[in-house]
Amino acid sequence: MREIKHYRVPSRTAILFTILLARCAVSESLASDGTAEALVNSKCAVCHSAKGDGKWDRISESRRTPEGWDMTVARMSFAHGVKMTREERSSIVKYLSDAYGLSPDESAAHRYIVDRTPSVVEHPENKLIGDTCARCHSYGRIAVQRRTEADWRKLVHFHVGQFPAIEIQAGGRDRNWFEIATGDASVELGKVYGFESDSWNKWKAQKPADASGSWRLVGHKPGTGAYEGTATVKRTGNDAYSVSMTVRYENGTSEQLSGSALVYTGHEWRATLKSGEREINQVMTLADGGRSLSGRWFESGYDAIGGTLRAVRADGAKPTVLSVQPAALKAGTRGRLVINGVGLDGDVSLGNGVKVLSVAERSAERVVVEVESAKDAVTGPREVKVGNARSGDALKVYQRIDYVKITPDHPMARVGGNGGSMNKVPAQLEALAYTVGADGKAGTADDVQLGAMPATWSFDNLNKVAAEMKDAKFAGRIDQTGLFMTNDAGPNPQRKYRTNNAGELKVTAAVKDGTRTVKATAPLIVTVQRFNDPPIR
Amino acid sequence: MKIKTTAAALAASFGVALFGALPTAALAAKDYLVTAARPNLVFVMDAKERKVVKTHTIPNTSMGNSPITLVHSRDGKTAYVIHNRWETVSGIDLDSGKEVFRAELSGGDIRGKSPFPMDLSPDGKELAVYVNPTQLLPGEYKVMDPYIAIYRTDAGTDAEPVRKLKVPRRVSTLAWSAKGDTLYAFSWDMLKLDPQTGAVKGQHPWRSWKNGEQGEPDTLAIWPQWEQTNVFATPYYVAYANKPEGDPSALRAGIWTLDLEKDTVHFKEFENARVVLFSSVVNPVRRDETYTVYTQLTKVNTKTGKMDRVDLDHTYYNVNVSSDGKELYIGGTQGDIAVYDSATLKRIGNIRTPGGGDQVLTSLRIFQR
Repeated sequence: MREIKHYRVPSRTAILFTILLARCAVSESLASDGTAEALVNSKCAVCHSAKGDGKWDRISESRRTPEGWDMTVARMSFAHGVKMTREERSSIVKYLSDAYGLSPDESAAHRYIVDRTPSVVEHPENKLIGDTCARCHSYGRIAVQRRTEADWRKLVHFHVGQFPAIEIQAGGRDRNWFEIATGDASVELGKVYGFESDSWNKWKAQKPADASGSWRLVGHKPGTGAYEGTATVKRTGNDAYSVSMTVRYENGTSEQLSGSALVYTGHEWRATLKSGEREINQVMTLADGGRSLSGRWFESGYDAIGGTLRAVRADGAKPTVLSVQPAALKAGTRGRLVINGVGLDGDVSLGNGVKVLSVAERSAERVVVEVESAKDAVTGPREVKVGNARSGDALKVYQRIDYVKITPDHPMARVGGNGGSMNKVPAQLEALAYTVGADGKAGTADDVQLGAMPATWSFDNLNKVAAEMKDAKFAGRIDQTGLFMTNDAGPNPQRKYRTNNAGELKVTAAVKDGTRTVKATAPLIVTVQRFNDPPIR
Repeated sequence: MKIKTTAAALAASFGVALFGALPTAALAAKDYLVTAARPNLVFVMDAKERKVVKTHTIPNTSMGNSPITLVHSRDGKTAYVIHNRWETVSGIDLDSGKEVFRAELSGGDIRGKSPFPMDLSPDGKELAVYVNPTQLLPGEYKVMDPYIAIYRTDAGTDAEPVRKLKVPRRVSTLAWSAKGDTLYAFSWDMLKLDPQTGAVKGQHPWRSWKNGEQGEPDTLAIWPQWEQTNVFATPYYVAYANKPEGDPSALRAGIWTLDLEKDTVHFKEFENARVVLFSSVVNPVRRDETYTVYTQLTKVNTKTGKMDRVDLDHTYYNVNVSSDGKELYIGGTQGDIAVYDSATLKRIGNIRTPGGGDQVLTSLRIFQR
C-alpha cells in the first residue's frame, strides 16, 4: 500500500534500465563506428576528456558487458543529466561494448549474472573482493568487469559519494571499509579483474562472425520441459539481425517467435522476440566463429521464467545429435524417443541394452524411434549415434530413481503486484532425478542425473517461527509444474505485525518411479520486492 | 486504499489550517512530540491529546526522499532537520513553520552529506553536523575526509560553519555533553572531542572494548532520544567466539548507555539475540528502565537485566517517553505513532500523522511547553 509509493524513484530507475538491449536493432538504425565515436565525444567528453584514438578519461579504463555499459550510460542520464535519445544511448552502448567489452572466456564463469539465472548462490572466488563488495551486491557483478587498479579505486570513491550509508550499514560498519576498499581490495581487483588481458587482445583481433543463416535449436524450459526447433536469422545491419523461431515443446505445444537481435562485442547475442503478446529476451553467446549459439532466455517482466537454449547451424553443419527426448529411459521398458540434431542420416544406435525396434519418422534434423530397454540394462549414460552424428551422453538408462533433488537448491521468490511498481517474482522449481551409480552411494562422482521428472508438489512451513507466523497460509501457492507464485505485496492486515506475505517454506517434490515414490525437499524463501533491480544485480 | 489516501489528504489540509502559537506559559507544561515525515513534513503533536497540532513543511527539498535526524531546541521553539538527500539542514520555527535556519552541506563541486549525526549544544547556540564530503570532479568522484561543521543557530538561512572539526570516518551519532564541554562522536569507538578544537580528549571503548571472549559489538545508533535524561542508549549485539555455532548464547543482545552528564558508561546484556532491536530510550523517572522497539516493544531493567516484551501491530523504529515516565510513544512507519503504558506495556492509544508519508528514519523527540 503506502510502502510502495516510497519507492517510486528507484522503480523509475528500474524502468530506465529496462530499455532492452536488442530492441533497438531493427526499429532504429545504429550509428556507424565513426558516428558513435562522435556521439561519445559530444555526450561524454564534456566530463570524460578525450585522449584521441578512441580513448577517454575513465571510459577507456574499464571493460564491461553490454548490460554493464548500459547501466553506466543510463546513470549518466538520470544522475548527471546527460540528455540523449534512445537511439543515441543504444549507439553509445553498442560502440563501447565493442571497443571495451569482455572476451567470451572472461565472462564464461559468471554468465548467470548477465542472463539473470534465478536463485544462484554465489561462492566468491576471491575472499577479499567478496568481503569488500559482495555483501551488498553480487560477486558476479564485479567479475564481469575489467578495470585498471586506479579505476577500481575510483569506483570505490564513487560508491561512498553516491551511497553515503555504505560505511554505517550492516556489512560495512564492522570494518574500516573505505580504507580496505581503496587499499588492498583495489590492488586485488586490479590483479584479478585487471584491464589488460591476452584473452581480450586475441578476441578483439578476430574477424567478427556473421550469424545469418538457418539454425537448429534445442533447449529446456523448467516447468515445461525439453523443446526443439529451428530459427532463421537474417542480417539487417551492422551486427543486427531479424530472427524468426519455431519452438516445439515435448508436451506437444509449440510457438512461433519473431523479433530482432543485436550482437555486441562480437559474441554477446541479445534478442527480443515476440510470440503474440508474450515477449522474451535472449542473452546468449555466439561462438565457434558464428556456428553455435547458447545461453538463456526469459520473459519480459518475469525473468525467473525462461529456459536454456543451444543452437547450431543447420546449413552445412557437421552432423550432430543435439538432444534426445525424453533424455532418460528406464530399464525394461518400451517407448518412443525423439532424436534432434543436424545432418542425421544413417543407422540409429543407442548403446548397450537399448534396442531400436523401428524408425517411426526421419529427417536430417529429427529421427523418431520406437525402442526397448533390456531389463538388465546397466544404469548409465549412452552415446546416441545416427550415422556419423553423435552425442556423448544424450540418453541415460536407469534401473531406478535413487534420489531426487529440487533445483534451484535455494529457491527464492518475491511478493509483488497489488498495484505496486514491482511484479511478483515466482520460483520455477524442478525435481531432478538421480541414480547413485556403481558405488551405491548418493552424492558421489558416479551418480547419474536423469533430468527433470514430473512430480507432485506441496509445501509447508520451514520452521517453528514460520509455523507461528503461518507462512504457508500466506506466502503463495504452487502448481503441479513446480511453479510457486507468491501472494500480493504490501502489509497484510490479517497477519501478525500486519506484516507482508513473505515467508519461509519447505517445498516437497514427490516423484513416482513405478510403484515407489521418491521425495525431496528444499527451503523456499519468499521475500520482499527488489525495488532497485538493475540488469546486473 | 482510496479511503486512506483521501483521509490523509483531508488531515493534511486540516494540519496546515491550524494556526496560532504553541503555549509558552509554564502554567501547566504539556508534553509535545516533534517529528518529521516524508517527503517534507514536520509534525508537532500534543502527546496527551493524541493529536497533531501543527503540520509544517520543509521548503526547497528533494521530494523523493525522507528527512532524517531531527534535533529540537530545549525550549521547543525550533527543530533542526537533515533533509534534501542529506545535503541540507533546516531549522523550522515550530510555532510559525518558518524556516529560520538553513545550511547547505553541498556547494561548488563538493557534495556534502550528513548520514544522521547532528546535535545541538545545551545552550542552543551551536549546531554540530557531521559531514561526508565528496568532490565531484569531471569524470570521477573523490571522497574527502569527513568533518564536523559547527554552525551558530542564529546564522539565518544562509548559514556557514563557524568552524570545522577533524573527525574519523563512520560516525553515526553526535551527542553534546550536558555541560557542553564535550562533543561525543560515535565512530568505531565513542570519541570524546573538544567541541572547540575537535581534539580527541579520550574515548569510551567499543571496537577496542575487551570483555572476555566477546567479539566486536555491533550497533546502529542513529536515533537521538536522550533529551530528557542526558543518557544516550543503544541496543547492541555481540558474538562470543568461545560458543559453538548454533548455540543460542553465541550471539547476545544488550543495552549500552553513556551518561552525558557524568561521562560514565554502562552495559547490560539481557538475552540471547532473538529479535531485531532498533532504538532505545531511558525512562526519565525510573532511570534503570529502557525501552527498545522494532516489531516488539522491549523493556529492560539495565541494572538487573530483567526483560519484558510485547509484540506490536507493525514495525516501529523510534521510541520516546512522557516526562512523567508513564507513557511510551513509538513511531516510524505507516503514519502511526502508538502510545503504550510504560508499566504494563499495554497499548493505550495512538496518533495518526497526516499527509500519507512515513517517518522512516527520522527522530521522534519530546519537549515541554
